[in-house]
Amino acid sequence: MKQSLYQNRKAQWAAYLAVFALLAMVPLYFDNPFVINQIARYTVMAMLAVSVSLVWGYGGILSLGQGLAFGLAGYGMAMTMQMQYQNPETDPIPSFMLTNELDYLPWLWEPFWSTPVGLFLTLAVPTAIFMGIGILMFQARVAGVFVAIMTLAILAAWYSMAYDMQPYTAGFNGISPPLPFQIFGYLIDPYGAPAFWICVAFLALLTCGAKFLMQSKFGLVVQSIRDDAERARFLGYNVAYYQVLLFTLSGFIAASAGLCWVMVVQYVSPTSLELSLSISAVVWAAVGGRLSLMGAILGAFLVNGIQSYMGDELQQIWMIILGFIFIGVVLFLPRGLIGVVEKIFSGKAATTDAKVIAQVREVA
Amino acid sequence: MSVNDFWTPFELYSFLNALFIGLSVASIWLVAALGLTIIYGTMGVINMAHGEFIMLGAFSTYVFQTQLGVPFIVCIPLAFIVVGLFGWVIERLLIRSLYNRPLDTLLATWGLSLILIQVVRLTFGAAPLYVAVPAWLDFQVDLEILHLSGLRLFIMVVAVLLVVLTWYLMYRTTWGIRVRAVMQDKEMAASFGINTDRVYSITFAYGAGLAGAAGAMFGALKTLFPDMGSGYIVEAFLVVVVGGIQLAGSVLSALILGQLNSIFSYFTNDTFARFVLFSLIVIFLRFRPQGLLTEGLKRR
Amino acid sequence: MKITRRNLIRSASVAAAAVAAPSIIRPNEARAEPWITKGGTIKVGVLFSQSGALAVVENDSAQVVQYAIDEINANGGVAGMKVEPIIIDAKSDIKVYSEKISQLILRDRVICTFGGYTSASRRAVAPIVMARDHLFYYPTCYEGRECTQNIINTGPLANQHSQDLIPFMVKNFGPKVYFVGSNYIWPKESNKNAKVWLERAGGELLGEEYVPLGGSEFAPIFNKIRQAKPDFIFSTVVGDSDIALHKQFLQEGFKADKMPIAALTTGEIEVRAMGPEAGAGHFLSAPYFQTLDTPTNQKFVENYLKSKYGGGGVTHYNMEETYLSVYVWKAGLEKALAQAGDIEAVTPRMIRDASGGIELGDDISPEGKVWIDPDNFNIWLKPKIGQCQADGQFKIVQASEKHVAPDPFSIYPDRGVCKADGLHTPDGTVQKNVL
Repeated sequence: MKQSLYQNRKAQWAAYLAVFALLAMVPLYFDNPFVINQIARYTVMAMLAVSVSLVWGYGGILSLGQGLAFGLAGYGMAMTMQMQYQNPETDPIPSFMLTNELDYLPWLWEPFWSTPVGLFLTLAVPTAIFMGIGILMFQARVAGVFVAIMTLAILAAWYSMAYDMQPYTAGFNGISPPLPFQIFGYLIDPYGAPAFWICVAFLALLTCGAKFLMQSKFGLVVQSIRDDAERARFLGYNVAYYQVLLFTLSGFIAASAGLCWVMVVQYVSPTSLELSLSISAVVWAAVGGRLSLMGAILGAFLVNGIQSYMGDELQQIWMIILGFIFIGVVLFLPRGLIGVVEKIFSGKAATTDAKVIAQVREVA
Repeated sequence: MSVNDFWTPFELYSFLNALFIGLSVASIWLVAALGLTIIYGTMGVINMAHGEFIMLGAFSTYVFQTQLGVPFIVCIPLAFIVVGLFGWVIERLLIRSLYNRPLDTLLATWGLSLILIQVVRLTFGAAPLYVAVPAWLDFQVDLEILHLSGLRLFIMVVAVLLVVLTWYLMYRTTWGIRVRAVMQDKEMAASFGINTDRVYSITFAYGAGLAGAAGAMFGALKTLFPDMGSGYIVEAFLVVVVGGIQLAGSVLSALILGQLNSIFSYFTNDTFARFVLFSLIVIFLRFRPQGLLTEGLKRR
Repeated sequence: MKITRRNLIRSASVAAAAVAAPSIIRPNEARAEPWITKGGTIKVGVLFSQSGALAVVENDSAQVVQYAIDEINANGGVAGMKVEPIIIDAKSDIKVYSEKISQLILRDRVICTFGGYTSASRRAVAPIVMARDHLFYYPTCYEGRECTQNIINTGPLANQHSQDLIPFMVKNFGPKVYFVGSNYIWPKESNKNAKVWLERAGGELLGEEYVPLGGSEFAPIFNKIRQAKPDFIFSTVVGDSDIALHKQFLQEGFKADKMPIAALTTGEIEVRAMGPEAGAGHFLSAPYFQTLDTPTNQKFVENYLKSKYGGGGVTHYNMEETYLSVYVWKAGLEKALAQAGDIEAVTPRMIRDASGGIELGDDISPEGKVWIDPDNFNIWLKPKIGQCQADGQFKIVQASEKHVAPDPFSIYPDRGVCKADGLHTPDGTVQKNVL
């Protein structure tokens, strides 16, 4: 069968590079700090959607807990930024702790004095936790809906902890570091181009890395597990090993998103650990097209963009519209918007709706 | 924080009463989870809008009670019917095309829940409302070791009745035989002449109706507001999954989880109890993903 | 072929970017541009949740700000210019607060923003408000212990809130009390303050319990309360949970005349939502009640309920505090204008600095005379205690004789003193924007 343009790898890479190059040029088009910051936020959300697409679209694992890695990394980054502000000599303890009857810095916070250690922990801890959860679940061959519900329970448990451990996390108020992130002596203004480019660089590197991996043998095995885990197991593959690695990787991407998020908003609170953010990320991936990393990015930009720009005029019915978009996509565009692009490029080829649905059915 | 601040000192009578409260919590979770068990168990549909069905039940009770002056006890079957009909329509319009795509039903029903919440908010306003508790339920059982409000007792009784009713329908009627046949093997059941579409839509409607009845009672116990459903959905799902997605399992798991929750909150606090409980559930599911009891192994 | 394809994708993304960002192609010369342009309108941001869980309260806040602005415009506006509210729905989503505050400041270039009901939303907007040296009015009760140079607060601080209530309850019902609160910072801070007053009044704390935000299962807590047998309950439970608390209090067979709930939040709007029978007999400490018997308040209640914003049918303390914030802003702007001489020279910073000491008299403020503290920019007010009646309205049983000073660090004297330029710590340094 002749390969369609959409499936042509060179064309895919060209499209990916073009999109990221264009995105990186945004600060050149728009000289407004608000717009730069806003698109940086969308970029971060796109990262979260990529993590969903990877684990769900490629791995067939629907995780409702991506917000866990995002939120924990957000806390790590906020702690790093907060400690950059604190002075070891004169003012060693963050303000909110003093008012929570802590007159010493908890050991949990000590490592964050050092920015490199802080950044390392910001990414490493959520990734390690995801690996732990992955081992817990996939060694027991938990699959499908059970993964969704277990990740949901884990997320809900951490959410309660984040706001209950008030002296350490500032509870429901969250942590707002007084100054932007500082590295190599430079303050990274969340409203400036450098912060934006850092986000875009993260997105581009992680997406391209994930895409590369998915085109490698590893990725093919992962996709075969998605399509039929039993068969892959009979062929001698260690299914759990692949699933754990994939899940860990998605945790790492979500953690990177959390890190960038706090860099551009200078704030973190338990709301990052709410179910609604994690489900929203799934929504973005589904709307854009879960089977494609670019689709997930597209979905995140589109839904967030619509929410920002249509929300104001149609405040009251935004949720209703979102609900209908969502149902519509699930019913009529199971491959998301990118499925439409695929259809255009593949011409009439093999992708009738029935077949798409049959394919997606396998995924689900 | 010293240990003494955190742990409530043990006192026998109030601890025993905590166990009764556990029963009450269990009955509430069970009522919330019952419809979900049926819908998920029979059709494999993950209905994220289940909490919103509960909310609709509560709001329809509110309308019946305040607009039409219907007595509370009659509101419960009415809420069952209203939400059941609504569920039937939803099944026809939405769920129908999503069978065999369980994860997609999760997404579509999440979309549905967004719509329902906002429509109700636009209709009734955002301010919380209440369902008045009838005077005949305004009593307390007050023994030394047992102290329960009339409403909580009532909910326990109704929970038992609903379980018995559901059990009867599932195991003692032809419809129940059909449902269980479809549950075990849809294709096979269809080839024996069972109209599976019909079984599905009636089952979904019944499950939705149960949520409606639950909502009628929760409205009296707690508060009515458009997003009240999200307060039940996580617990309800956990009850269903821990129970092994079947009726007896849900009863058992609701009892265990409600009791554990009550004991943990007795000794510590609500938030911490939630953390411990959810963590325990995750670990339990790691070792026994099929749940407490298992019947039809097909759905997993 | 390849090039066309790339072009296609490229132009598609340009189009997408253009759709995502209409009409904002403006160079970054923010500093030089005046915040208020002569001949235009004075733009202010109104950032409350009109949908989602917080809408219960914040919807009223958004309405009352518009009501106050209409009132100001009908009386000739400020300095002859009309005030134009830019109303944004924060959708009860912390992400949206954070995004929209920057839109208001950077794109819409408002002179100030009124918004928020929860500490979390205030915290989310604070970094950008402080970084841009802008001005934010947080118009509701809050826990204090912050010292920022960009936020003005018009609700009672924790130290003002329970100062009278606790001694009143101890005197009338007995010394033993049980604290119940929602699990977040405001209730915890309020309880710390309450403990100070409790100790002074010779009371005894039997227990302290927190429910998760939005939690509605109070049976375990009532079980502990039944075991402890307090004389009264002190509640800092908020929102939906508050309503569940009162309803279950009744269902559990407790009686308001034997063991009343003394609350900091259960106002007219909450009572309407729980039913007056569940609210009757309990106590509330607030600077404002709908039943306050002053001519200004009677006029306010009548006009507000008649206006297109008054559909809710009640006025309550949170609304009134929000209403005041608009007038505090107006007076601050007028004062800043008098100092600057030119409306185009007025900046948010100038309004904030001019606001210290601003006084709203009996003729404007429905709760009676109030003024802004010149050091910490919180409000001086007279706390009042009301008892809920069978009709859902409150009877004022005690009103403070004197105004009570706001003190954000009252229970943290070691932290320092909050002055206009920052927190003066005991070691002699001045810290700006302490959160």
